[in-house]
Amino acid sequence: MRTPNLAVFLLCVCLIKCRIVFAQGGVLISLSERNASLEKVLQDIRDQTGFAYYGEGGWPEIARPVSFSFKNVTLEQLLDLCFRDQPLVYKLDIPNRTINVFLRPRQERVINGIIQDENLEPIGGANIIAPGDASAISKDDGQFALHTYYSDPRLFVTSIGFESQVVAMPPDGQKLVLTLKSKVGEMKEAEVVHTGYQTMKDNAATGSFDFVDNDLLNRRVSTNIMDRIDGVTSSVLFNKNVVLGTNQSTITVRGRSTIYGNPNPLVVVDNFPYPGDLNNINPADVESITILKDAAAAAIWGAFSGNGVIVITTRKGRLNQAPKISFNSSVTTGWKPNLYYQPILSSSDYIDIEEYLFQQGYYSPSLPVPNGPALTPVVELLGQVANGTLDSADGYAQINALRKVDTRKDLDRYFYQHSLNSQYALNVSGGGTQDQYYLSAGYDQNQANLVRNEYDRVTLTGKNSYQVIPSKLELTTGFAFTASSTYLNNPAGSDVIYPYAQLADAQGNALPVAYQLRLPYVDTVGGGQLLDWHYRPLQELRNADNKLTLTDYRIDIGLRYAIVKGLDARIYYQFGRGDSDLVYYYSPQTWFARNLINEYTQNNGGVFSFPVPRGGILDETMNTYTANNVRAQLNYNDSLFKHGRLNMIGGAEVRDIEGSDRTNWLYGYNPGMGSSVPVDYVDLFQQYTSGAYQQIPYGDAKIGTSERYLSYYTNAEYTYFGRYMVSGSVRRDESNLLGVRGNQKGVPLWSAGLGWELSREKFYHLDQLPYLKLRVTDGYNGNIDRSVSAYTTASINTAPNRYNAVFSNIVNPPNPDLRWERVHIVNAGLDFATAGNRLGGSLEYYIKSGIDLIGLSPVDPTTGVSVFQGNTANMQDHGVDLTLHTDNDLGKVHWNSVVLFSYVLDRVTKYNEKLADVGYYLSSSTINPLAGKPLYSVYALRWEGLDPDSGNPQGLLNGKISRDYGSILGSDNFHDLVYKGPVNPPVFGSWRNSFYWKQWGLSANILYKFGYVFRRNSIFYYLVYTGASQGSPDYEKRWQHPGDEQHTNVPSMTYPGVANRDEFYQNSTVLIEKGDNIRLQDVQLSYDWTKKAHARLPVQLIHLYVYGNNLGILWKANHAGIDPDYVTGMPLPRTLAVGVRVDY
Amino acid sequence: MDLDRQHTVKQLLLLVILVGVLQACHKGFLDAKPSTNLEVPTTLNDFQAILDNTTVFGLVPTLGEASADNYFFTYPYWLTLDTREKNAYVWAVDIFQGQGGQQDWNTPYQQVFYANVVLDGLGSKPGPDSVAQWNALEGAALFLRAFAFYNIAQVFAPAYDTSLLNVPLGIPLRLHADINPPSSRSTIGQTYQQIIQDLDSAEFFLPSGEPNAYRNRPVRIAAQAMLARVYLSMRSYSQARAYADSALLAYSALIDYNTLDTTMGEPISLLNAETLYQASFLSGAVGSTPYLLALAGGFYPSTRIDTGLMQSYDPNDLRRVIYYNYKPPDLSDLKGSYANSFVPFGGLATDELYLIRAEGAARAKDAISAMADIDTLLSKRWRTGTFPGYIVGSWQEALDTVLLERRKELAFRGLRWTDLRRLNAEGANDTLIRNLNGTLYTLAPNSDLYVLPIPPDVISLSTIAQNVRD
Repeated sequence: MRTPNLAVFLLCVCLIKCRIVFAQGGVLISLSERNASLEKVLQDIRDQTGFAYYGEGGWPEIARPVSFSFKNVTLEQLLDLCFRDQPLVYKLDIPNRTINVFLRPRQERVINGIIQDENLEPIGGANIIAPGDASAISKDDGQFALHTYYSDPRLFVTSIGFESQVVAMPPDGQKLVLTLKSKVGEMKEAEVVHTGYQTMKDNAATGSFDFVDNDLLNRRVSTNIMDRIDGVTSSVLFNKNVVLGTNQSTITVRGRSTIYGNPNPLVVVDNFPYPGDLNNINPADVESITILKDAAAAAIWGAFSGNGVIVITTRKGRLNQAPKISFNSSVTTGWKPNLYYQPILSSSDYIDIEEYLFQQGYYSPSLPVPNGPALTPVVELLGQVANGTLDSADGYAQINALRKVDTRKDLDRYFYQHSLNSQYALNVSGGGTQDQYYLSAGYDQNQANLVRNEYDRVTLTGKNSYQVIPSKLELTTGFAFTASSTYLNNPAGSDVIYPYAQLADAQGNALPVAYQLRLPYVDTVGGGQLLDWHYRPLQELRNADNKLTLTDYRIDIGLRYAIVKGLDARIYYQFGRGDSDLVYYYSPQTWFARNLINEYTQNNGGVFSFPVPRGGILDETMNTYTANNVRAQLNYNDSLFKHGRLNMIGGAEVRDIEGSDRTNWLYGYNPGMGSSVPVDYVDLFQQYTSGAYQQIPYGDAKIGTSERYLSYYTNAEYTYFGRYMVSGSVRRDESNLLGVRGNQKGVPLWSAGLGWELSREKFYHLDQLPYLKLRVTDGYNGNIDRSVSAYTTASINTAPNRYNAVFSNIVNPPNPDLRWERVHIVNAGLDFATAGNRLGGSLEYYIKSGIDLIGLSPVDPTTGVSVFQGNTANMQDHGVDLTLHTDNDLGKVHWNSVVLFSYVLDRVTKYNEKLADVGYYLSSSTINPLAGKPLYSVYALRWEGLDPDSGNPQGLLNGKISRDYGSILGSDNFHDLVYKGPVNPPVFGSWRNSFYWKQWGLSANILYKFGYVFRRNSIFYYLVYTGASQGSPDYEKRWQHPGDEQHTNVPSMTYPGVANRDEFYQNSTVLIEKGDNIRLQDVQLSYDWTKKAHARLPVQLIHLYVYGNNLGILWKANHAGIDPDYVTGMPLPRTLAVGVRVDY
Repeated sequence: MDLDRQHTVKQLLLLVILVGVLQACHKGFLDAKPSTNLEVPTTLNDFQAILDNTTVFGLVPTLGEASADNYFFTYPYWLTLDTREKNAYVWAVDIFQGQGGQQDWNTPYQQVFYANVVLDGLGSKPGPDSVAQWNALEGAALFLRAFAFYNIAQVFAPAYDTSLLNVPLGIPLRLHADINPPSSRSTIGQTYQQIIQDLDSAEFFLPSGEPNAYRNRPVRIAAQAMLARVYLSMRSYSQARAYADSALLAYSALIDYNTLDTTMGEPISLLNAETLYQASFLSGAVGSTPYLLALAGGFYPSTRIDTGLMQSYDPNDLRRVIYYNYKPPDLSDLKGSYANSFVPFGGLATDELYLIRAEGAARAKDAISAMADIDTLLSKRWRTGTFPGYIVGSWQEALDTVLLERRKELAFRGLRWTDLRRLNAEGANDTLIRNLNGTLYTLAPNSDLYVLPIPPDVISLSTIAQNVRD
């Protein structure tokens, strides 16, 4: 691409000179040469003109070949042309008819300048060439310094992705500012990736990065920044079915490589890890997100990097730019969630079961106990009919009326609404020659689809950088402030299990339901001395007063001092503080307060006293963190040796995060005055309903936490000839992990990488594939488990012992061999692009091995410890990441398409503890690793159909058909346990298509997940009987008569309920479903008005967009009607956003 | 360029110095506690908090009592029991049937571990201001370790006998907190030598004085009482008598049962006058395996009191209604204990000291001293003025009386199993019989089955030899 431009340039120069020569007259020559050596040209001139040539020794070897074709030019003209770009000069001696050739005289000059793109963003890595002499490469900030010896008046500037330029050398002392035009349809655009320590061009990197630019981030409309990378980054999986207590992370980067350690990726915001709530970051202020995936990319984060690193870079101003104002606003509305999504028993079926249980005498022990646990309205009615207090016909009429009631109708009407989220963001950015600034304000107002739940957020950010001493000392300052309020008044349900509870009457008045205490009891109890004890879900919703207030701010100060060319020193400091205040105010009208007051009411012979005062109760939880980060770093980024370039950093940093968690309970709280009443926490009080003696709940506690780290690191990348890359990093982290032995407080971690841009080799001739790069990396990342220690660790028990003395538990036996968890990652990658970038992408294969993972091992209990937490487990993940993108012009329509494909499956390779029986491995609520299988696996029991005589489920015990459910569940024969598949999809990715036509843009993203399984719920009779489960419509398909076993797997209903029988059925293979699915995640449609197209437009750009999200499943493997992303709960409702962005 | 280089060198030097400063100050920086409720125990108060853990300490094994003869189960109830409880009841050869996690073994060894953490941590040099507290902690940790070792030995090792001193069937004696060294069985001589050595030292270090508001913290009398109990189990009666005497000399209070409210479920208070060291049976679901719920009181109405034992109480004997829900003829069950709970008491109390001293006296042929102690004790147990007093004709008669009263006073205190082993060794020749639906099970005196099997997980995770039970 460069050559034609040069030719045109030379031609122009020549044409101008020719005219002058004609005007003066003289010797004219006609000569044509093609790639001829200078000596050959001089020989030809000698042949035509008789001018001989002489030169200093060796000059022909350093001369460059030339090509031209001229007629009738003067000798001087011709020679000028031939000696241009030569390290030689000539002297024409006309009297002696000789041409003397000399080496060009050396005269050193330093040319300083800055290279930038059309957006005035600095371009790093541009080549500035003084022909035949010297060259320089611009740094990340666009600055370069060229040391040249010759006086050729031109400079050539080239950079990947930009049009090359030839410029005149500036006069001495003047700085060159050069703007390069970006090339349309360039091979592969180099992306600037941020590691949190440095920025680099991804084409010069050996590691594995994923980059989400601003356009892609803004494609999606959301309040939370993390939502915006779902489905647009390869190997990042958003786990939708996270079970509490199983140490799962909602986001995983390249699978899983820890068991009990921290599972979350590290999130870095502007240089430092962010300890606050990610909701505090306004997506409008984010410029880009870089995901560091392999050892070479992430090892710079050392002991924090084992789960990958997500680097968020916020926006900043630009040098030499007039103030630019941008305003973005959107309104998103969402449908109500589908309350009928989770299949439960119909009211009529539920009542049938209650009647059946009543006939069996199930309620006989409970009915005579008036102050016993709540009974449902149907059971109360049946009881009244049975004891004759209610006419039978009347009773059954009331029961039959209840068959038509569905609580979900009331829930839908009174508890749910359409969501409405509004976003407003305004920012101003710009800069002069020595400063740049960015200021923004954002306001978000979200009305959830749960009535009375809201979220408000205000964000303010500012960033400024100033050249205190131009090109020598730069000062950067920044602040970010977020204040948000979350209203949590809607519990998203009614706490009532029976499906026919009426929550409101026809006028919308709240109705009482049976909850905890029996309705006939609460109707009459206390004889007027107690507070109303009824529970009315709708009234609770209306009286709830629960609010979470978050305040978070960050202050950044950075100094950069250029020491010598290519070397600078930086110091960064960040202060961060976040406060969260969660206040549950239970007013005297709430059931919580009324219930507590009533239960503690003391009746001393008709004299009533209230140890829990009659007033409100305030439950407040305050959490605070204060983070201090300091980093001192040296950067070197310049050429090193001929054709080589070194980008190296080294430094040290200190991090200190101090936390405080505090809870307070106040009784008799009066919100108007802020007053409260002291209570007696010491004495025991008789409970009104049960008669048991209890203390008044005490809720005051305070805990302080401290996380401290001291780290040293270095990272270097050396590029040779622009095509060979070597990288390496070393980092050591030390922390205050309790009692880790001094010499093991720190862990050194390293990485190394090699890269080879094959397509730049001379022998490379694949014209269809003009860009091809191979890279391979190896290294160690680390992970922290703050729960273990090498020393004996004791934890103070929150309650005192029987003698009111504080006591502690030994939570950690001494473990002198304790080590930090490490993750060994080997990554091999291939990047490619076809001509014109029609098709490009990358393919990566990696092996990720978790080593020395903290695992549980059984220990001889004689030691005093029966399970030992130590570095006893290993895991291994294998994975493939494929990214393909294509850019095409179809007539007037531009189409680009991106396919992301990720495969990753982990396997526990070593785990010492094997629990006694198969039953332990069926639960999904605990982590039960089994060597050889993925950490989170679905296991099931073999199913042998229903017994044709009884409809009892049948399993396999030691190879024989069995109905001994206890023994099947307690079997230690692991052949009876079937591995069905992983809980999380090993195959996932997306296919995103975008179309552009004139000012229109249309983009749709399809997400897919394959290869995983889930367990669906069916009827668990035992739990339905006890009122703990809402059952399943599978009830209607249950075995009722011999022969039914031919077409159903649902066991018969039996009385009494046998928990093990239901448990076996629930955990059998018949209820395992495939999770595979394809969904249309979102569609965005946009239209642009630009100043270019509409001259009368008062602004630069108006960008209008419509965005639909959670659009629905296109295909799923299971036929049970279950969205595998929402096995429990309800799918996220569809949302529709309309928004506009205006750039002034 | 050279100037620049010098400059660079200077800057680098500065960085090196900065890093050096960081390094220098990081010692304190990285020593901060990660959480205020976590700590590496180092101070005396830290160690006190460990010893005050009453969810670990003050719990005694129940397998011995479960194998003894103070109670019986009905057949239908026996059928509902856990495998291990069923097996223990009928003295089956294999009791655990492969099931590990046995609290009878694990909890006492957890006590040993906690005590060792304290003993290792206390070191040898107390500061001048804290000698008293250091002594109390050192003494308590030694007492608690000995108490645990003794309890394990009563269930899982053969009874002490001078002929077995060098037989390696004692219990593993772990004397340090480090969990890495493997466990191995000591000889029976070593086992008891260690217990006595720990208790001797405890007696030296523990503070004198009467039992106070912290009944989980032993005082010197508790160490003496424990020594009396240990020597009794070793059939060293003169030493047992001597230690019981020392303890009673210092503190001899008895509860007058006439002052107790017999209608209450738990008539005896936690801080009662007799308790020297509070402990109770392992109960409920400890860890993952529910443990001997029947005996520990979970379903106490189903634990029926041995008919003969029940009949031995005189109607004027208040123990009949304070220890038991008296329901004749053979439906009586357990009531609240010295642990102020329906969970049976397993600690040390003065009443036991009277009986040890009496037995020591009787065996020393001092019938008068023996009967004096019995009179003192029983006058507080019977309705006021109703106890007629025993008249004995010989020291053998006195001994028989003491042993009968011992069983009646100390039923369900975790002592019966040790007594059966000891008295059979003395020639009592007691054969135990269980009747389940007509099937009779017997336990012959001095049978191998008097030593219970070591839990299977312990066997598989260590090199400890299993007890032989044929």
